[in-house]
Amino acid sequence: MPRKLRYGDYLGQVRVRHITLSYNQVTDFDAQHRPRPRLRPRDAYRLLAPYLSVRFLDQFRAVIPVATFLVAFQWFALQSQVAGAGGIALGLVVVMVGLMLFMEGLKHGLMPFSENIGHLMPARSSLGSVLLVAFILGVAATFAEPAIGALRAAGSLTDPEQAPLLAYLLISHPETVVYTVAGSVGLAVLVSMLRFMRGWNLKWLLLAVAIPALLLTAYMAMDPYLRPIIGLAWDCGAITTGPVTVPVVLALGIGVSAASGKENNALDGFGIVTLASLFPPLAVMLLGLYMSTTGVPVGQGVIPVAAAADTGLIDGVVAALRAIIPLTLLLWLVQHFWLREKIEHGHIILYGIVLCVLGMAAFNIGLSEGLSPLGAQVGDQLSSAFHDGGDGALYSYWPGLALALLFAAILGFGATLAEPALNALGVTVQNLTDGALRKNTLIYSVAVGVGLGTMLGVVKIVFEVPLAWLLLPAYGIALVLTLFAREEYVCLAWDSAGVTTGPVTVPLVLAMGLGLGRAVDAQEGFGILAMASVGPIITVLTVSLWVQIREWFYRFDFGRTA
Amino acid sequence: MKTREGAEELIVLTDVVLITCIVQRGAAEQAVQAARRAGAQGATIFYARGSGVRQKHLGVLGVTVSAEKEVIYIVAASDQADRVFDKIFTAAKLDTPGMGMIYMTPLEKMATYVPKEIIDRFVGD
Repeated sequence: MPRKLRYGDYLGQVRVRHITLSYNQVTDFDAQHRPRPRLRPRDAYRLLAPYLSVRFLDQFRAVIPVATFLVAFQWFALQSQVAGAGGIALGLVVVMVGLMLFMEGLKHGLMPFSENIGHLMPARSSLGSVLLVAFILGVAATFAEPAIGALRAAGSLTDPEQAPLLAYLLISHPETVVYTVAGSVGLAVLVSMLRFMRGWNLKWLLLAVAIPALLLTAYMAMDPYLRPIIGLAWDCGAITTGPVTVPVVLALGIGVSAASGKENNALDGFGIVTLASLFPPLAVMLLGLYMSTTGVPVGQGVIPVAAAADTGLIDGVVAALRAIIPLTLLLWLVQHFWLREKIEHGHIILYGIVLCVLGMAAFNIGLSEGLSPLGAQVGDQLSSAFHDGGDGALYSYWPGLALALLFAAILGFGATLAEPALNALGVTVQNLTDGALRKNTLIYSVAVGVGLGTMLGVVKIVFEVPLAWLLLPAYGIALVLTLFAREEYVCLAWDSAGVTTGPVTVPLVLAMGLGLGRAVDAQEGFGILAMASVGPIITVLTVSLWVQIREWFYRFDFGRTA
Repeated sequence: MKTREGAEELIVLTDVVLITCIVQRGAAEQAVQAARRAGAQGATIFYARGSGVRQKHLGVLGVTVSAEKEVIYIVAASDQADRVFDKIFTAAKLDTPGMGMIYMTPLEKMATYVPKEIIDRFVGD
C-alpha cells in the first residue's frame, strides 16, 4: 500500500545542509590567528594515497615488465627455475620503492637548489666562478651516481693475463678511473655552460669532441695492449649519465641558459648530457694511454677481486649517505655563502634530501638483491642456449644464438620503453617540434636503437669482435647523419642516447653482459652499454632526417600550389 | 535559425549558473563523473597552476599537494545546481585541506544547441 511522505521531509533528507558563513569573517580570522589546518587521519590518507600510488605506479611500470620478461624467458626459453625467486622479488619491490623515493626527493631536494644556482649565478658572479661551480657540481654529481659502483663489479670479469692494462686499472686503481670520469664530467658541464652563455652550436662542438675520441679509439684498437681499455672507456660514458647527474646538471643548465637569454627556445638545457657522455671515454682512454707509458707492473693485477656486489644493508645506507650528503652540502654552501640567497621552504628541501638518501639506500640494496642477480642469472644461462658448457647446449648452435640475440634486442627495447626519463623527453620534443616528431615516434625509435645496440653488444661478447670494429662505424654513421641534421634534432638525438641508459637499464644490461661473458670465457665484458647508447643516436637521427625531408617536400608542394 | 520573416533568431537560455571547481591535477575526472550523475549535462576541464593558503600551512604533508591544478567549468540549470554543487564537494573531498575549492556564479544568459522538440513545445509564436 502506498505510504505518504512529505516532499519537504524528503528534500531535508536528500539535500546537504548548507551553513552560511561570510568569507569576510574567515579571512579576518585567518589574518589574526593563522590557524594550522587540523588533519583527521582520513585527511592524511586522502592526501597521501593518490600522491603515493601515482609515484609508485610510475616505477612499477618501469621495473615490472622487464623483470617479467626476464623471468618468462628464463622459464620458457631456457627451461630453468629462477634461483632465489623470493629474494629477487623482494629486491625488485625494494628497487621500486627506492626509485620512487629517490625521484621524489630529487624533485624537492636537489633540483630546486641547482636550478636556483643556475638562475642566479650568471648575474651575480664572474664568468670564472660560474665555470668553477659548474665544474665542481659535475664532479660531485658523478661521485653521487649509484651506477659508478657497477664499474667495480664489471671489473671482476677481467682476465689479467689477456688484458693486463685493464686489470691493472680496474683492480689496482679503481679510484683513479672514477676520479678521471668525474673530472671529465665536470669539464663537460663547464664546456656546456660556456656553450649556453656564448650560444655555441652543439653540432660543431660535438664533432670537435667526437672525432678526436674516435681517432684515439682507432689508434688504441691497433695496439693489442691498449685495446681492452676501449670497452671500459665507452661504457663509462653511458654509466655516468645516470639518475643523479642528469637532473642536477640539467636543472643547472636550464637555469644558466634562461639567465643568459641568448636564444629562447625549449631546447635550452639540451646538450649537456651529450657532452657528459662523450668526455669520459676520451678521458679514460687518455688515462689508459698515460698508464701504459708510465709502465704497468705486469702481473700485479692478479689479486682476486672481493665480491663487489656483496652489499649489505649498512653498506647500502653508507653509500647513499656518501653520495648525497657532499653534493647537498656543496649546493647549500654555494647558495648560502656565494650567492647569499636565503633558502626558502627549508623543511620541504630537508624532506627531499632525506627521501633522496632513503631512496638511494633502498635502490642500492634492491639492486644487489633483485635486479642484478636476475640479470646475471639470465646472462649465465643465456649462453646455454647455444654454447656447450659441459652438459650440452639447449638448442643447436645457430637457432640458439639467434634466440639469445633476439632476447638481448627485446631486453634493450623493453627496458628503454619503461625508462621514465624518456617519456618526459618525448613530451618535450612533441611540443618543441609542433608535433612533427611525435612522442611515440621518438620513444620507439630510441627503443629500437637501444635494442639493436644491445644485440650488437652481445655479438661482440660472444664472438669476441674487437669493440672498435663495431664502435667506429656506428659513431661514423652517427657523425655523418649529424652533419645533415638540423641543430635541434642533433641535440635531441645525442641527448636521448644519454638519457636512456638509466637506472633500470644499466644494471640489467651490465649484469647480463657480464654473466654472458663469464659463461663464454670472454676477455672482458664491457662494450654492451657503449653499443646500447650509440644505437639510439643513429635511429633518432635517421627518423629526424626523414621528418626533415618530409617537411621539405611539403614546403616544396605548397610553394608550387600557392 | 531563420524565422518565417527571414530575420536571425536564436534561443537564449536563462536560469543558468556556472559551477567552477578547482582541484588537484588528475582529480577532475572523479568530480565530473559525480556531477554527471547529479544531472550536469557537460563539463569543461582545463589545466592551471596555483596554490592556496591552507596547502602552504600543511607542513611536510604539503608536498602531496601539487601546484598543478585542474579547473572544471560546469554550466547547470539553477534547479539542479545545488545538487551538483554538493555532489562535487563530496566526490572531490573538498573538506580536506589542500584539495581545492568550488564556487557558483549566476549567469545572465547562455546559448547552445536546443533540440527542436523542446523549442516546439516551449517557445510559442
